[in-house]
Amino acid sequence: MRTTATPFVVRHSLAGRIVHLDWLVLVLVATIASVGVAALYSTAGGRFDPWAGRHALRACAGLVLMLCVGLVPFRVWLRGAYPFYLAVLVALVAVPFFGVAQMGARRWLGSGDLSVQPAELMKVALVLALARYYQWLNPSRVSHPLWVAFPLVAIAVPVAFVLKQPDLGTAVLVLATGIGVMFLAGVRPAYFVAGAASSIALGNFVWPHLQDYQRRRLITFLDPDRDPLGAGYHIAQSKIALGAGGLKGRGFLGGTQAQLNFLPEKQTDFIFTMFAEETGFAGALVLMALYAALIASLIWMALRARHQFARLLASGMAVVIALHVTVNIAMVIGLLPVVGVPLPFVSYGGTSLLTLMFGIGLALSARLSARERLRRDEFGAMF
Amino acid sequence: MFVHDEEPEDNRARFTRRAALLGLGQIGVFGALGTRLYQLQVTEANRYALLADENRISTEILAPVRGRILDRTSRVLASNTEGYRAVVVPAIARDLRGVLRRFAEIVPLSFDDIERVVARSRRQSPSLAIVIAADLSWERLATINLNAPHLPGVRTEPSGARVYLPGTHMGHILGHVGSVERRALDDNPVLRLPGMKTGRAGVERGLEETLRGQSGSVTSEVDARGRVIRIIDSVEPRAGRDVTLTVDADLQEAVMTELGKYRRASSVVVGVQTGAVLVLASSPGFDPNVIARAGESREWAAVQASPDDPLNNRAIRGLYPPGSTFKMVTALAALEAGKVDLKERLPCEGRFEYFGQTYRCWKRSGHESCDMHKALRESCDCYFYELARRTGIDAIAAMARTLGLGVLHDAGIAGAKSGLIPDHDWKRGRFGRGWLGGETILAGIGQGYVLATPLQLAVMTARLASGLQIAPTLVGEMAMRAAAQPLAVKPAHVQAVRRGMIAVVNEDGGTGSHASGEDGGYLLAGKTGTAQVSSHSRDTAQGDLPWDKRDHALFVAYAPVSAPRYAIATIVEHGGGGGAVAAPLSRTIMDFVMARDPLGKPVATVLTGPSRRLGDG
Repeated sequence: MRTTATPFVVRHSLAGRIVHLDWLVLVLVATIASVGVAALYSTAGGRFDPWAGRHALRACAGLVLMLCVGLVPFRVWLRGAYPFYLAVLVALVAVPFFGVAQMGARRWLGSGDLSVQPAELMKVALVLALARYYQWLNPSRVSHPLWVAFPLVAIAVPVAFVLKQPDLGTAVLVLATGIGVMFLAGVRPAYFVAGAASSIALGNFVWPHLQDYQRRRLITFLDPDRDPLGAGYHIAQSKIALGAGGLKGRGFLGGTQAQLNFLPEKQTDFIFTMFAEETGFAGALVLMALYAALIASLIWMALRARHQFARLLASGMAVVIALHVTVNIAMVIGLLPVVGVPLPFVSYGGTSLLTLMFGIGLALSARLSARERLRRDEFGAMF
Repeated sequence: MFVHDEEPEDNRARFTRRAALLGLGQIGVFGALGTRLYQLQVTEANRYALLADENRISTEILAPVRGRILDRTSRVLASNTEGYRAVVVPAIARDLRGVLRRFAEIVPLSFDDIERVVARSRRQSPSLAIVIAADLSWERLATINLNAPHLPGVRTEPSGARVYLPGTHMGHILGHVGSVERRALDDNPVLRLPGMKTGRAGVERGLEETLRGQSGSVTSEVDARGRVIRIIDSVEPRAGRDVTLTVDADLQEAVMTELGKYRRASSVVVGVQTGAVLVLASSPGFDPNVIARAGESREWAAVQASPDDPLNNRAIRGLYPPGSTFKMVTALAALEAGKVDLKERLPCEGRFEYFGQTYRCWKRSGHESCDMHKALRESCDCYFYELARRTGIDAIAAMARTLGLGVLHDAGIAGAKSGLIPDHDWKRGRFGRGWLGGETILAGIGQGYVLATPLQLAVMTARLASGLQIAPTLVGEMAMRAAAQPLAVKPAHVQAVRRGMIAVVNEDGGTGSHASGEDGGYLLAGKTGTAQVSSHSRDTAQGDLPWDKRDHALFVAYAPVSAPRYAIATIVEHGGGGGAVAAPLSRTIMDFVMARDPLGKPVATVLTGPSRRLGDG
């Protein structure tokens, strides 16, 4: 507990903040991002073009961003939480009107290098807004139906818009992130049990009323192996590549299985397959251990915090990372349908990379001030 | 700032419990993922184990052959040419320049060609194939395959092109194929094959699923040079099915020639019993082969630049105010609602007053008074203004939809528009304002917001002629299967409207007398329409107006009167009067149709003959 004794002045000077930054988290993120650069380099057949070079650049920019965000006093982020959430929500609503369609879905705003996916940003914006909300809310009231309803709406609205894009994977992720933060905030377990039970009941009620073709689509979606040349093609290819990798892998740049005749998304959703083919089961375990360490240190950060905002920011980001990693890996090994969830810091894609690094930066910032006392009503009313 | 923590300790403890719970859950999930990964990579790896380290397992998708498109007489409208081309996959080739230099000994490649391929391989993923030679002769094809071991990464593949019946008359119906659109990519791996083409317009797109067929695949182990060591699994591709259309290419050509006498026109002929579309003409047309050669040709630029927009299929996409051809809808709606009976005579003094607004009849001097028969025959506007006022827009709109207006018809061709039949709900949704009474008056004579495509007008006429709720189709099989329900309208009312349509063409004073024909051997029933497109005064002679301010000329008809088999809708953009221009044009087209009709004469066989269905469609 080296921070407990740190005098006020030291913690508030820039140098002091730099010293007390959670460097372990920074190093873990940088390491995982480097794995991403290497995997993308290999995916392109041993070239920095077209993915690895840009990924490296973005990762460096992201690390700097993360550092800067982490050094900014957390009160700035506390104040900006709601405006940021609302801005991202507006962007998300704007997507169907001004967005650019790609691969059958409208997800992007802007064009070229400057395009962003508001849905990706929403993951972090939601964690920030909910942390802000529970910082304000009296802990004795978290399970009051009215105070449960507010965050539910804040989660449901973006989820509905992401679903409309349509982007099932991100929608489920945003939903699960929101529910996870509510759980961590201490909402009574009965709510979660009731929610799960009613979704199952609703599913059972809807199923008999579906048309045949809708059922078929759902079945293919849930069980892609049934249709090996249609939706299941990706998974079949992914399994072949994993199998070809074996225990020790085919060696760096040796993963021909994934490099050739594979899917166009190998640099994004299926990068894990690529990595696991070349480094084998051993490499896959190392990568998963890196993620586990990152998640654990975020949770550890949350446990040491003294106020709800820092706690929920850090643990909320742990939830975001854990969900991404779990869904992505489960997807490429055929345990979940292919829904388009990137592997954090490794998959090619700017918005996801920068957003997650921004989110970790927020957690770092909150962590630096985790010992500060913060009155619930410091910023007046709820908004 | 440094007040002591007043936070209840149990809050903190609760967070700790829950965070620990999630953490434990995550450990469990990672454990499960790791276990599954172990199964795939270690336990089950044997299945995909490789015989040698350099080998790999490759699943190749085999493209199906695209189905042909035939017309009703089995004439081939769209087919495939056979051809082969060579591609190179840079990731397999490794030494790309060397491979290309060796390849150039078989198929001459210039230095620039080689540099172009090398440059391209740098821009895209090295596992994507690049075309290095097209249209290979059999000799070269054989030589390349014989030398495959010395040409790692090079392979040959079929590269059939789509060819269409030459001429501009079938372009709109057939549409064309093109490279797969990015947004379609997720569906099916076959779409990712280099050179894969899918339907982009017309029937090619509308019947894409049928024409495409199903891809096959071969999963095999190959060595570093691309030689197959063992086949693990193989599924043959299933070729796309041929599609026989209901259209008659010769008839279509004759109709296009007639329409070509005007700047922009469209005509649709539909079998009244089956909905089979016999003619779907939009003029000017285009030759689909020009699109297939697009990018290299000046013809294509000419087609795109033409002010008359030849690429627009007016028959299914042109939205026109139906004008007086809509009066059958108003008449039926009023009859069904009991707002008028067949005998009631309504006055017409050439003008109709409603809430201080004056609505004019096309005939300034008026029609004195009209019953329904006379009102249809002479297209009296005042009569239908009054009917519309009595019936109300919602009932009129419902009748219009019953007759197939304002509804999207899936005839097997992509891009059709649904037109517009306004009602209270639509107005509120579109403009946020309530419906005005005056808008009902205008809608009653097919003006105002009302818009329909020629196909929809032909469907409306076919439904009136047969009393059946036929759905239009371009697919032969669908037309054969058709078993349409009767219209939910009292047959006596439909009969009254039909009598009016017969009078339009065949009685004195009828606005469609130009369609009566000299002696075609059959009678035709129809309705004229003249749709105003600009707010010019009705007194100005059409000839004095600039072309694009002139009225659209419309005519809908069915024939023969005694036992209807075909319905037609014709529109000539800015043609002037429906009776003067569209009616005789429709008669000419119907003459062609009747002449091609296998059961045209004698009439008796039509009713008793064994293949009546064919006669209909």
